[in-house]
Amino acid sequence: MKKKIKIIFAVLAALFLLIQFYQPARNADNGQVHTADLINIYQAPDSVQAILKKACYDCHSANTRYPWYSYLQPVRFMMENHISTGKADLNFSEFGSYPKRRQISKLNSMQQTIKNDDMPLTSYTWIHRDAVLSKEEKTIMIDWINNLLNTLK
Amino acid sequence: MKNTFLSAAIMATLLAACQSNGGKTPEQTVTSAATENKETPVPSRDAAAAPVVKTGMADGIVKPYLQLKDALAKDNGKDAAGAGKEIVAALANIDVKALTPAQKKTYDDVASDAKENAEHIGDNADKISHQREHFAMLSADVADLVTALGTSQKLYEDFCPMFNDKKGAIWISESKEIKNPYYGSKMPTCGSVKKEL
Repeated sequence: MKKKIKIIFAVLAALFLLIQFYQPARNADNGQVHTADLINIYQAPDSVQAILKKACYDCHSANTRYPWYSYLQPVRFMMENHISTGKADLNFSEFGSYPKRRQISKLNSMQQTIKNDDMPLTSYTWIHRDAVLSKEEKTIMIDWINNLLNTLK
Repeated sequence: MKNTFLSAAIMATLLAACQSNGGKTPEQTVTSAATENKETPVPSRDAAAAPVVKTGMADGIVKPYLQLKDALAKDNGKDAAGAGKEIVAALANIDVKALTPAQKKTYDDVASDAKENAEHIGDNADKISHQREHFAMLSADVADLVTALGTSQKLYEDFCPMFNDKKGAIWISESKEIKNPYYGSKMPTCGSVKKEL
């Protein structure tokens, strides 16, 4: 009986070590400048830039700030999944390449998700405490988007 | 016994329907045959024999859109999701090659946005408030598509002044009667007809 448990434990440990070798390409732009980035095309003020970068860009841009534990599998696998879904829905690094209509819709959706606290996701803010938006930060974002929408329409 | 009677009734209706259809066909064949026999067909008669059917290229999208609008007016998120998925399919079915350059321009601007909005509606059967947010954006997309590509149906653009923090939102309907899809049973008759599409 004891032997069986030992074997199971050994197999699990070996599997855990093995999956550490699976390290797919990271979502990192290595300092490359994105001309179509939301921040560049609509001259976001510093206050807006700071919020976007700390609370949105990890999953919605071409560059993720990876935490140390992201090197551990299977955390890495889950995270990469998350990022690719996030980017497919909305990628701020390519925002300028969206048709104007889609940009307007995205900005509308951003406002709504901020108002409803749908984003950033709780699973993200649970670790990234600084990504929890304060009331003031929410107002900054909503007002900026309102102004931007008025110029786009 | 009841069943026999029912099926007999159905058969009778079907027969009647077939006959009324069949009644027309020979008449039409006669007319077209008559025109063909003549050396120089009278133009006005020829036009009458082949009625011009106005087919709108946006019809495929309008149909599931109207279902979606009805589902939301009835607060039915599940049916709304089903209709949303049909819109995604209908968008993919548009024959892009048949579009004029001007139509193509509208299509390029609208299509990706409409698809995304319809996808969100399709994926959120249990979150009707979220479906309605995307319905507001989708309605604007569909209105522009209908204007650019045309439809064979008479449609109205309605306006709900309260939605989205009183910024208001439009929707499209096939009747003048108001059935608000943004608030459903809470405010069924809120809104007004803005224009005819």
